Amino acid sequence: MKNKSMFVLALLVIASMVLAACQPQTIVQTQIVEVTKEVKVIETQVVEKTEVVEVEKKAFTTPDPILGDLRVRQAMAYCTNKKDLAKAGYPLLSDEDAAKLVMDTFIPKAHWAYAGDENVTIYPFDPAKGQALLEEAGWKLPEGASVRTKDDGSVLALKFYTTTAAFRQAWAAVWEKQMANCGIQILRSHVPSSWWFGDTTGLQVRDFQIGAFAWVGQADPGGQTLWACDQIPLPENNFTGQNYMGWCNPKADEAIKNANNTLIKEERIKWYTIVQQEYTKDVPAIPLFNRTETFSVNAKLEGFDPKPGEEYYTYNVEDWAIPGKDTIVLGLTQEPASLYTLVESGFTAVIAAQLMGFRSYTSLNYDFQPYWVKELSTIESGLASNNDVEVKEGDMVLDANGNPVALAAGVSVYDSTGQKVEFSGSPIKMKQLVVKYVARDDLKWQDGSPVTQADFELGYKVTCDKESGATTFITCDKTQDIKFDGLSYTVTWLPGSQDPLYFLAPYGYMPSKQPIESEGPYKGKTLADVAPKDMPTLYEVAERPWSSGPYILKDWVKGEKLVYEANPYFFKPVKTKNFVIAIVTPENAEAQLLTGAVDVLGSETLAGLDETLVKGEADGIVRNIVNAGATWEHIDFNLFVK
Amino acid sequence: MTSYLIRRVFQMILVILVSAAASYALLNFAPGGPMSGLRQITQNSRFRITEEDFARIRAYFELDLSVPIRFSRWLIGQPRGPIVIFGKELFANTPIGCYKEIQATVQDARGNFSVKTIGCSEYVYLKDLVGRRTSNGVLRGDFGNSWKLSRDRPVSNLLVSRLPKTIQLSGLAVLLSLIVGLPLGVYSALKQYSRFDYIFTTLAFMGSAMPTFFFGILAIMLFSIIPNRIGWFYLPAGSSVAVRDYAVPILGTVKANSPLDAALHLILPVLVLTIVSVSGWSRYVRGSMLEVLRQDYVRTARAKGLVERVVIAKHALRNALIPFVTIVVFTLPGIIGGAIITETIFSWPGMGRLYFLALGESDYPVAMAVLFLTAVLTVIATLLRDILYTLVDPRIRFS
Amino acid sequence: MATKAANLSAVTPRPVKEETPLSIILRRFRKHRMAMISLGVILVVFIISMFAKQLAPFSADDLNVSNRFGAPGSVSADTGKVHVLGTDNIGRDYFSRLLYAGRISLTVAFLSVLVSELIGIVVGAIAGFYGGWIDSLLMRFVEFLLTIPSLPLLLIISSMLLRNPDLIPIPAPVLNILGKVMLLRPSDARQAVLIVLVLAGLGWLTAAQLMRGSILSLREQTFVEAARSLGASNGRIIFNHMIPNSMAPIIVDASLSLAGYIVAEASLSFLGFGIQDPIPTWGNMLSATQTYMYDRPWLPLIPGLPIFLCSLAFNYIGDGLRDALDPRLKT
Repeated sequence: MKNKSMFVLALLVIASMVLAACQPQTIVQTQIVEVTKEVKVIETQVVEKTEVVEVEKKAFTTPDPILGDLRVRQAMAYCTNKKDLAKAGYPLLSDEDAAKLVMDTFIPKAHWAYAGDENVTIYPFDPAKGQALLEEAGWKLPEGASVRTKDDGSVLALKFYTTTAAFRQAWAAVWEKQMANCGIQILRSHVPSSWWFGDTTGLQVRDFQIGAFAWVGQADPGGQTLWACDQIPLPENNFTGQNYMGWCNPKADEAIKNANNTLIKEERIKWYTIVQQEYTKDVPAIPLFNRTETFSVNAKLEGFDPKPGEEYYTYNVEDWAIPGKDTIVLGLTQEPASLYTLVESGFTAVIAAQLMGFRSYTSLNYDFQPYWVKELSTIESGLASNNDVEVKEGDMVLDANGNPVALAAGVSVYDSTGQKVEFSGSPIKMKQLVVKYVARDDLKWQDGSPVTQADFELGYKVTCDKESGATTFITCDKTQDIKFDGLSYTVTWLPGSQDPLYFLAPYGYMPSKQPIESEGPYKGKTLADVAPKDMPTLYEVAERPWSSGPYILKDWVKGEKLVYEANPYFFKPVKTKNFVIAIVTPENAEAQLLTGAVDVLGSETLAGLDETLVKGEADGIVRNIVNAGATWEHIDFNLFVK
Repeated sequence: MTSYLIRRVFQMILVILVSAAASYALLNFAPGGPMSGLRQITQNSRFRITEEDFARIRAYFELDLSVPIRFSRWLIGQPRGPIVIFGKELFANTPIGCYKEIQATVQDARGNFSVKTIGCSEYVYLKDLVGRRTSNGVLRGDFGNSWKLSRDRPVSNLLVSRLPKTIQLSGLAVLLSLIVGLPLGVYSALKQYSRFDYIFTTLAFMGSAMPTFFFGILAIMLFSIIPNRIGWFYLPAGSSVAVRDYAVPILGTVKANSPLDAALHLILPVLVLTIVSVSGWSRYVRGSMLEVLRQDYVRTARAKGLVERVVIAKHALRNALIPFVTIVVFTLPGIIGGAIITETIFSWPGMGRLYFLALGESDYPVAMAVLFLTAVLTVIATLLRDILYTLVDPRIRFS
Repeated sequence: MATKAANLSAVTPRPVKEETPLSIILRRFRKHRMAMISLGVILVVFIISMFAKQLAPFSADDLNVSNRFGAPGSVSADTGKVHVLGTDNIGRDYFSRLLYAGRISLTVAFLSVLVSELIGIVVGAIAGFYGGWIDSLLMRFVEFLLTIPSLPLLLIISSMLLRNPDLIPIPAPVLNILGKVMLLRPSDARQAVLIVLVLAGLGWLTAAQLMRGSILSLREQTFVEAARSLGASNGRIIFNHMIPNSMAPIIVDASLSLAGYIVAEASLSFLGFGIQDPIPTWGNMLSATQTYMYDRPWLPLIPGLPIFLCSLAFNYIGDGLRDALDPRLKT
């Protein structure tokens, strides 16, 4: 394929040179520019047929006639009453609580990476200021009119897309009105999320003017795919990346890359502060408010303690108890698709698998804590070292874009001083992480046998088998070398791999001795004998895996429930004997909680606090817990038109 | 009649095949699918999709094969490799799909961008199918593996878990509707425009005058939540059985999974479904009863001096019921399709809910299985109905 | 027309004063008391909807978040006007929305009936009259559509249409006119039209089967044979003789499906595929507020009432029409 594209490329170059020869000198310049762009397109797409309409060279380079003006975006930010939007989304919130949810930048206020109020531009609700900015930008409100217009006759009307969720319908209606009060007409459409978030539709192909959705905040703020210049979805790159706004600020671009290429927290905070400064200055989007995370549980349930930053609220399930009851029922609205977490990482599948001990860490309050590892393998703990190594041509390294490549001339990498350099052929020094991950030594399987080195080896083998059904192999590809030693293993990462989360164990363990009893070629053998490609379809793996966690799966009635029993060999005492996951529909969940059929409903089920739950709490039936969530709503501007 | 039947059976098979092919195409060409969103997942240091990964996952779902080949493998489990005749492998090098597509972004006349496939850089050949896992084909009773809802596990497991529950719910509701709806319809026809007729007609119309979800929510509130809160006898709010024992006033402790438990759980959803179908059916019976009562033969029977009871039971009712039976026959496929809204409101683990989830999650093997079963039953119901038509009105001939 | 067949077989001599068929139907219809009351109810709902703009104290999207969940009869702090039915979850006047919604819901229902019955009549008549392979083809097609459970099919179609509004281009004048009728922006009217197409796209199946059924039996009747022997063309026979004579079940079906469409629109809204929020309909008002059923039951009950009333009324009218149009029913 490469040859063909080179051939086309050469043809084009020749053609353009011939053309250039026939043209007056001044136009030749533009011709050359166009050719180089054309080449770019060809490299990524390998165009073979000629009848395909070639992409316009200047797609998404014309600023939006309205939103391209910074004053308009700032005015809209001033005209937005974020507190009222939060109140519309969560009707039972008090004014103070609603004010606490308001966001001024892309990182929640409680997060360690938040720049601080003094370092960002805050746009308080001030319609007068917003209107003044609009006047300044030439948008005048004629006598008696409700929508602003420009002298050239253009109207301040903007198309606004968001999903059909009831919650968004509520706040979007309020926002539409807020904008109308400033003379801005919002043409609102609620579109199915399958279109809005589709592969080749809506957001991804930047088919919007203003759009609203939510980002999920995580313990690690990441952000490179959101704010970097090379992450703008464009026809040239087949619309990859998540910088849907098309926001390209050189300062922020550099800062976000640096923030994700260092292991030192202080450094990262510094870089994130710069990104937030530029982001609030440029207003490519209006951050609105944090979503709340609402949990409602049986009033007598003890030990239930969801924490911000930790999605999986069952992290301490062994401590849950209801006095006088030996069974706790958790209501989930979606049935786990498979308990083989390598191929199925849906929320409910992880919840169901985590009862059997699958994660190595927790992330309470946006920080990390060890779970089945002894401690986090940080440099400070002595388990990890970040060494300078010399690399030469042909060595596998991680390039500046994060892809594993063989080092060759022209490849960009970060050198040991953190500078981005282009490899010229002579050896250079790069950083290399060597990390030892140590598991607890009291890990046991549900039959009482201890977890062994063979289990870790099987875990690694399956995870990195290309036929295992896993989606991504980037972690395996970044692993230069792995050595097993009892219940620990040491990974030597590729030079250049500076993952900020290096201290979390990348590979888990699997029960190599689990007997296979289901009919088929593996009957009578153990899990270690099973080919990775057959694992997803195997009953013992998908539906009845062995547990090393607090609970053992006893029964799974499809469509109805998963029944667990306490694991006597778990490294901590488990307080409640039986645990059941009941599959209920979202429409029916609250009724089941209030009548005592289920004990716990999580934030993935409850959209927010409602009066039924509040009343239930007043009557002493349930206990409601509302946390500020990591997920945040925002309004994005598409800065360019196609 | 025999030749008609043979022709009809032939047509039925054709309808089922066309229906299956059309649904298969509809699902496959509809936007969405298992590859949706894959490229958009945050590409970070721990998750990164390369083109190779993308192609591999596509092949995992057989999306690299052309639709007719995929359909044939779904239907009859073939082809599985080169066609072997007399030990010779035929068509081994015939391309049947594309492993890696060449995509380009094109702009239409209105300036909208779309990503389109414009070629293939790596074809799949018939010989490549050897060793790929495949189902035995729907015609041999193998619905393949689920894509999403029960990932990589047989679809038939899902069907087996849901079918009994659906038949339980819909079957009971149909039965109850018949028991209640028939006499009501007949009686109100006999007493047309009487007070009973008006009251009953109003009640019947109420059943169809509100969306099902409204009745469902109302029923849960009135019979479950409120009585539970004030300590009265209450019914379970949802699900088909309880997951643990519970106490209900009057009955005491109800054992989870016991027949009593199952019965308690059935009451509300059956009630709601019945309210909705009773209204329609009883109206139908009333209508056809009225029609029959005006027929000459009924008048003749009365003129002959027959007792009114005999006239109604022997002459009128029998004739009025035949068209009604055709309607009842048609609930057959509906049972498979399930009652989506009722099942949703009551967390009932039935086929309707399964189908709804399968569509939402793009689990096409599951959705196709439900569609296929429904198609088969509908076609059978149609045949039954048409045969019954000839019994009602001998003037209708089949030609 | 409808009484012709009956007259032919009537043995008793006709009274001297000849009644027109229409007046016979009207007289019979008047006998159905509930149908007459229903007609009155529908007329009232119609008139109210027609003057929605004049009657509504607020516009459909006036809102004040601080004034949400106002009780019926509460007074608006901003304007001093009374919220007759209170306010909804973001402080919009519920009464005004209900009035505007009526206009949209009724328009959608009527348009759906019109479109679906038209398609049904044409398809059913062609299938029934020509018989043979045309009949087989069309009826197998109808069967095929019936093989797919209707609600899920509605879901597939509506999600495809809604996510890609350009799939079916709707001429701007149509949108402008309907926008005026429904008091909507033309861009919003598109959504309503799409829902009409979705509902009618499956709704014509029953009408087609009914039509085919009656054409099948009419085909054998003497007056058709008479027309044929007089040299009437097929088209003439179908449109002048057969369709008018088989309109009775269609009219009844139309009136009953009016009730059905009002409910179906609400069900689609419940599953998230109906007409979306900025546009009020009874259906989406009902489904949006069903979560408040336990604590503020009036929120779902208020939009539920007109759905209920209209659906009930259309059912009665259909019932009355069935009785009135039945040719066998003697005066």
